[in-house]
Amino acid sequence: MIDIRKVAVIGAGVMGRGIAAHVANAGVPVLLLDIVPAGATNRSTLAESALAALRSSQPAAFMHPKNARLLTPGNIEDHLAWLAEVDWIIEAVVEDVTAKHAIYSRLQEFRRPGSILSSNTSTIPLHQLTQNLPPEFAKDFLITHFFNPPRYMRLLEIVAGAQTRPEAVTAISSFSDLRLGKGVVPCRDKPGFIANRIGGFWLQCAMTEAIACGLDVEEADAALGPSVGIPKTGVFGLLDLVGLDLVAHVGRSLVANLPPDDAFQKVREVPPLVARMIESGHIGRKGEGGFYRRVEQAGQTVIESIDLRSGDYRPRHRPPKDGGPKLGLRQFLEQPERAHRYAWVVLSETLRYAADVVFDIADHLVAVDEAMRLGYNWRQGPFEMIDALGTGWFAGRLRAEGRPVPALLEKAGDRHLYRVTEGRLQGLSAAGDYVDQPRLAGGLRLADLRQSSKPVIANRSASLWDIGDGIACLEFHTKMNTFDAGTLALIGQSIAVVGQRFKGLVIGNDGENFSLGVNLGFALFAANVAHWAGVEELLKQGQALFQRLKYAPFPVVGAPAGMALGGGCEILLHCDAVQAHAESYIGLVEMGVGLVPSWGGCKELLLRWLAHPLRPHGPMPAISKTFETIGKAKVSKSAAEARDLLFLGPTDGITMNRDRVLADAKAKALELARDYKPPAPPTASLPGPSGRVALLLALSDLAKKGQASPHDVVIADKLATILTGRSTDITESVAEEELLVLEREAALDLLRQSATLARMEHMLDTGKPLRN
Amino acid sequence: MQEVVIAGYQRSPFTFAEKGALAKVRPDDMAAAVVRRLLESTGVKGDEVDDVILGCAFPEAEQGLNVGRLVGFLAQLPNTVPGATVNRFCGSSMQAIHMAAGAIRMNAGEVFVCGGVESMTRVPMPGFNPLPNPGLYASFPQAYMGMGETAENLARSYQIPRAAQEEFALSSHAKAAAAHQAGRLKDEIVPIDDRGSAIEADGCIRFDTNREALAALPPAFDRDGTVTAGTSAPLTDGAAAVLVCSEAYTRRRNLAPLARIKSIAVIGCAPEIMGIGPVLASRRALERAGLQIGDIDVIELNEAFAAQVLACARGLRIDLERLNSDGGALALGHPLGASGARITGKAAALLKRTGGRYALATMCIGGGQGIATVLEAVQ
Repeated sequence: MIDIRKVAVIGAGVMGRGIAAHVANAGVPVLLLDIVPAGATNRSTLAESALAALRSSQPAAFMHPKNARLLTPGNIEDHLAWLAEVDWIIEAVVEDVTAKHAIYSRLQEFRRPGSILSSNTSTIPLHQLTQNLPPEFAKDFLITHFFNPPRYMRLLEIVAGAQTRPEAVTAISSFSDLRLGKGVVPCRDKPGFIANRIGGFWLQCAMTEAIACGLDVEEADAALGPSVGIPKTGVFGLLDLVGLDLVAHVGRSLVANLPPDDAFQKVREVPPLVARMIESGHIGRKGEGGFYRRVEQAGQTVIESIDLRSGDYRPRHRPPKDGGPKLGLRQFLEQPERAHRYAWVVLSETLRYAADVVFDIADHLVAVDEAMRLGYNWRQGPFEMIDALGTGWFAGRLRAEGRPVPALLEKAGDRHLYRVTEGRLQGLSAAGDYVDQPRLAGGLRLADLRQSSKPVIANRSASLWDIGDGIACLEFHTKMNTFDAGTLALIGQSIAVVGQRFKGLVIGNDGENFSLGVNLGFALFAANVAHWAGVEELLKQGQALFQRLKYAPFPVVGAPAGMALGGGCEILLHCDAVQAHAESYIGLVEMGVGLVPSWGGCKELLLRWLAHPLRPHGPMPAISKTFETIGKAKVSKSAAEARDLLFLGPTDGITMNRDRVLADAKAKALELARDYKPPAPPTASLPGPSGRVALLLALSDLAKKGQASPHDVVIADKLATILTGRSTDITESVAEEELLVLEREAALDLLRQSATLARMEHMLDTGKPLRN
Repeated sequence: MQEVVIAGYQRSPFTFAEKGALAKVRPDDMAAAVVRRLLESTGVKGDEVDDVILGCAFPEAEQGLNVGRLVGFLAQLPNTVPGATVNRFCGSSMQAIHMAAGAIRMNAGEVFVCGGVESMTRVPMPGFNPLPNPGLYASFPQAYMGMGETAENLARSYQIPRAAQEEFALSSHAKAAAAHQAGRLKDEIVPIDDRGSAIEADGCIRFDTNREALAALPPAFDRDGTVTAGTSAPLTDGAAAVLVCSEAYTRRRNLAPLARIKSIAVIGCAPEIMGIGPVLASRRALERAGLQIGDIDVIELNEAFAAQVLACARGLRIDLERLNSDGGALALGHPLGASGARITGKAAALLKRTGGRYALATMCIGGGQGIATVLEAVQ
């Protein structure tokens, strides 16, 4: 296997720099080279300013500020000799064949023989890129098409040419999967590859259809948004995000390269309004605004949207309620109103198109679904949607409307496009037979397990799965994976079952977020009806369950991805080990809802800081660090940052590929299961009232500066009391149970305060913290 | 009775804590370099030194243990030369000078190295393990009041508007910049080694600051207050030392003294207005010297906060023109333990440079104190 130890990116534009930053995120040194601008005194100015822009980009391009050190900026006139050490060169220059060829001949001169080259082109076919280039170039060359922003978009389309040597494809696919965390989708050398071919059709169709039907942009975005499993940017919001200029460029290249009878040619016209917008620089968020724009009015930011008829901006409005995702896809598309009709027309055309072209652009159905999920963030790909709608129903409605039915659907009849046989996912082939679909080797998804087996135990809120080799996986599946009574009940039952029947436990799920902690509505209800005994019981139960996890006779491995907040963070803190997805956003955010962590979160984070070898000695530093982290409700912006905050420990692992998190967590559990012994209960020496006063002094300075609100001060005082051990003395030792009592008392007291309830209500209503 | 003189003054560059050039330098190494240079520049031999007295406001970690003694070892003084660390917060190294002066007067030695050090990078305020007394905090919280708040208190009670504070800060930077550019700071600064490269210049002076930049800063301590980062002395790393000895010794060794110590004073005041301390301390020192403020030619008043300096100037009826003629702590920085030795050494050097007769060095101290030294030219 070819080892990728050093990478170079040629072209420091938005894509090139983003790819380079993400290579650095993988811990791999990377060169970023661009041209020397005419008359520049600093010859590497383009790459250097790209690095500066990366450092301050929002959302952050680097997973940790220190990753920037792995990126070396330079230029292609003075520094091509550096390429001698590089294993993979990624070209991300302007989309122009002549310009790319000029670069390639220079790269060919300087690159190490056997190094791999790839282009990040989104529009130029591979056979054009390798035209007239020597065979030793072509055999090392492929297309690697990243999506923007490269750190966050999981899709990587790979196109190999007839001459590309298979080892090069394997090496790049494996590196991109394991190190960059990408979902690698092999594509054929066809215009727009997969995602932009289908996505481009969808956008173009949705745009022209909205104008033709006289819909507002708000209506269109609501109709083709979360209700049908598409991100809330919908159509016009996405066009603004990507940039109208770029979409038009991709559109032009599809028009030029697709055969005249391709369905895209029928929707290819750029509406006059859009042409005018591009001309006047209204190309979206990076320009003067697009279909939406932000304007300052009387010191306030107002969002305006464009009137698709007149082209004038007006205040954005809320579209009428349309039933939303609760209806389910089929029912949503069956509603008679204008917006629902629109959604049906656009989506059915897109699904039809996908079914028509699938075997022209991909070997398997699943490649198209994967590309649309990972590249456009659709909840389901087109064929998964057709299965959700029902193949028969979908084809029937097309027929009833007098529209052609794709051959794939004719062949399917009433059969699903996908099925699971003996644990293997199969999909229809062009011939209409079920064939195995390629799956990520070594990946593990509960969604796949759900197709072929039943959980060991389950209730409405959580399930326990057997994930093989003696390891069980506890899955939360409430909304946002918040904890409710059902979750807690299943945690308790799982501890018993795993103790009897398994070697170890993984806590993780396939959801977008690991867990957002306690269901606030549930806690608020108890507080509002003053059911204090119940609240106290809930606190005790959570604490006891997490303690039982910590001291269980088997290893427990947390496997977070996305947000792990509040209780979601606390359960991780009680695990023996954590295997986190690189995009894990972990924090104890209870301050935001007027509380302190009270399921052992204060206790565990404090114990971690007390045991941390790098802190200065004495009673206060560990306490101050914990106080600051919880008091400021710090949330890590990556798993790497979570290490800095001690939400992850030094032996906890980070997995780049989302689909490998559970598998890696399982491997970790198996490793720990050999000779597993539960940890010995720790004690802490805490300074008591003197330490609390030290924290109060700092707090009062913050309050004067206006950086802590009145209720912040009340909560932080409670936190200070817990972390300093209330009335203890530095010469005594405090047991875990005593800290848990302090947590409970603080939470119970805060829940009786109207300012805390106001914070909780505000969070439930607006999703934002109240600073009262 | 022995007359006491200041016969040498050296300091390190003063640079911003955290982001400054001295951030990676241990404070004890920094102080030792200054002490070594002080002895070299005055020609005093190690075994002639009777004691090393070093001030430090947060004497822990790298500036902990008995850093005065350890600096003696680092500066390669003979084992027979003792060392002590003193803490009177910002007044620490002026206190070191006072202790030496007292010892010389009672024939308890002739030659003293008196200085101070503070790495506010490596030992951040208020130290690593502040543990205030809960009882005192309950009954008398101002004992622990933050310095910024005390400056706000003075700004309010003396009605010192923000613009006046900024005007003063601007003049401090202008004076320091002029002194730097004219090379007037060069002789007092000892280059400090940081892993093989020399740090030679002050780092806190803002050569390009202006009224607009200062006016744009948010309040630093009180949302509704007037004191900003621009009108407060920055957190600073640095060390300073002076040679305090008997006048007889300087005659024997043919050493040219900078100034004679005429009188000293230290006094307490309400902690919540600690910045006014120099008024009370200076009055007491002047009284002991038999002088009026009008007799003083050179005044070094430590600039902890512009508001506090302006309150003191009003209290002492000092013409601002006469203050801190090479710039003060607002521009140069305020490494707590080192500032007292800097302003006393500076006042002595200025007296000599300007040919004046009397100088006053004075400073405020957290917790509510003032300290002052009156110097007299040696004819």
